[in-house]
Amino acid sequence: MLKVAIIGCGKIADSHAAQIQRVKGCEIVAVCDREELMARQLCERFQIKGCFSDVKTMLTEARPDVVHITTPPQSHHGLAKLCLDHGCHVYVEKPFTLNTMEAVDLIEYAESKKLKITAGHDDQFRPCARQMRDLAKKGYLGTGPVHMESYYCYELGKTSSYARALLADKEHWVRRLPGGLLHNIISHGIARIAEFLTTDSPEVIAYGFPSPVLRSMGEDEIIDELRVIISESENVTAYFTFSSQMRPSLHQFRIFGQSNGLILDQDNETLVKLRGTRRKSFLEQFVTPLDLAKQYFDNSLQNIGSFLRKDFHPKAGMKFLIESFYRSINDKSAPPIPYREIILTSRIMDDIFSRLRSARLENNAVCSTLSRARPGTA
Amino acid sequence: MPPLAPIDTIMNPDDPILITGAGGFIGPRVVKGLLNHGFRNLRCLMRPGGDSAKLAKYADQIGGNAHVEIVRGNLLSREDCLCAAHGATVVYHLAAARGEKSFPDAFMNSVVTTRNLLDACHHHGSLRRFVTLSSFSVYSNDKNGSGDLLDESCPVETQPARRGDAYTFAKSKQDELVTEYGKKFGIPYVIVRPGFVYGPGNEGITGRVGIGSFGIFLHLGGSNTIPFTYVDNCAEAVILAGLKKGIDGEVFNVVDDELPSSRQFLTLYKKNVRDFRSIYIPHAMSYFLCSLWEKYSQWSEGQLPPTFNRSMWCSYWKSARYTNAKAKNRLGWTPKVSSAEAFQRYFESCRKKIAHA
Repeated sequence: MLKVAIIGCGKIADSHAAQIQRVKGCEIVAVCDREELMARQLCERFQIKGCFSDVKTMLTEARPDVVHITTPPQSHHGLAKLCLDHGCHVYVEKPFTLNTMEAVDLIEYAESKKLKITAGHDDQFRPCARQMRDLAKKGYLGTGPVHMESYYCYELGKTSSYARALLADKEHWVRRLPGGLLHNIISHGIARIAEFLTTDSPEVIAYGFPSPVLRSMGEDEIIDELRVIISESENVTAYFTFSSQMRPSLHQFRIFGQSNGLILDQDNETLVKLRGTRRKSFLEQFVTPLDLAKQYFDNSLQNIGSFLRKDFHPKAGMKFLIESFYRSINDKSAPPIPYREIILTSRIMDDIFSRLRSARLENNAVCSTLSRARPGTA
Repeated sequence: MPPLAPIDTIMNPDDPILITGAGGFIGPRVVKGLLNHGFRNLRCLMRPGGDSAKLAKYADQIGGNAHVEIVRGNLLSREDCLCAAHGATVVYHLAAARGEKSFPDAFMNSVVTTRNLLDACHHHGSLRRFVTLSSFSVYSNDKNGSGDLLDESCPVETQPARRGDAYTFAKSKQDELVTEYGKKFGIPYVIVRPGFVYGPGNEGITGRVGIGSFGIFLHLGGSNTIPFTYVDNCAEAVILAGLKKGIDGEVFNVVDDELPSSRQFLTLYKKNVRDFRSIYIPHAMSYFLCSLWEKYSQWSEGQLPPTFNRSMWCSYWKSARYTNAKAKNRLGWTPKVSSAEAFQRYFESCRKKIAHA
């Protein structure tokens, strides 16, 4: 029986506690939050015995085998190291760390201690994402991907409570992340691309800006519209889109190989195969839509079936990732997310944020030059 | 408007009063009411970015020589709480996590904030009354028979998490905390539990009448009496709860006098605001459906969250009678705006909102 602990008792900790309790062969023995009341409410609702407000005390007294870190990202590196020092395997919520340097350091530290670590890229393990991975492994795409498109959007409207909290609080922890709002959200969408890249240092071109909606709310610091091009030595390419304003707010991944393509739609939980070869003459127009309709119908039936088998939880991906991670601990096998993928995701994110910072500095410099060139302007 | 008749209070007109959530739904009315009662030293705590125009207007119109200070701060910050509570003799704690669906977020924005404020008050030592705003939803109506009286003596929910409603959980825990601080540190508190507070600014139809989440409006209230209280009436009860002598540690339910049934309200709403299709679900049927939902949620390990359950049904849709006798007797409160006038104002506000949508 694996003994599990959770550090950080905010919103996402609820999902962790609920999914861990669905996994066989483990028990949540303790939770910890600097704010004792928060720890208490989680303990009460999930009937957990160990309630702590100090991490070291919890690690010493509860002696967990695995620790889930669900605190704001600024503390991930330090807390994960502390847990590793106490001999615990660690599941770190996304974003894994603040930057690649921390990510590499953490993974090397875990390896040196012969302990396992994983990142909370749970969307990668939703049912359709797993099917897509299986198909790609079986060679459905052909030799490998040629191009990918990843959409990972987030609705951030004037009425969104998240937007209100973030915009009202200039000291909000999300603002203090190197990549701001983007840093807290995009890792799921970037990880999807990273999984299929073959080199460790792809070229990244990024363009970002605050949406007109945010600007109308007086916000010009937070970037909530992002477009990225990722390229590997003029070989595999990818586009990444994050938008808070486009509708529908997509969570989609499209991957095209030399033979065929696949479209994964997380919102509808569908996976659609795109044939690489065309049918003859008008059959392409007559049969292909029917084939697509059949695929969507099959996806729908599959989803209903999973629901009836109580296997269609909103956080099914998280449960699968937790189970796989715990299995890798018990079996001493490879963790479910390769360390290379975690580091590459982090590296791409670093590059994006670095590009955005440079662009902003250049933009400010241009504005400042223009102001100087026009006497009388502020 | 001339100042209202002076009331027998625990404080002087120049003693500092803190109002949290001053920019919310009830807050501005409390500020206005306090100014009308002649209190001249008000500190209004608002979130950064909150709109203070309404408060400024009241200060100009009826404040006279009153000092209305608008303080920007976050109750999650202990420092902000210490600053806001400095010297306060009465605290009206109206800030709430309304509409929050996540349990941790609702808890943090109700309980942690209240704890910070109570600690700050305890630290300063100047407090004479801490008024906290609770809700009818904290009562457990499980053991009451259909149509029984639900008053201040009724038990509160002992396992609020099972209700599946973050707001109820947070409010129950907030009440527990305030009571605990009263016992442990001698904080003089009063808990005000309004029914459904309605009026311009809150144009939604209460879930006690029905829900529109499934594409068509399901009318669940039927012949139940709905515990409405008009926002101005509620604000007046809140004000008195902070001022009256000899009521420390008491709980007051606040409902208006002439309460319509759910069916009467729905008919009036359709006639005065907009017509829409609704289906009446008899009580036995809604209880059965809630029970089914609850069982499915348990069986499926939360595949569907336990949003509907028997405890929730008892709290929302079991028939009950309500009384405002204690508020009238002990606070000297009467609902100044009649239900007829209040509903007229509310429907007018609903029509305006729809026209501007």
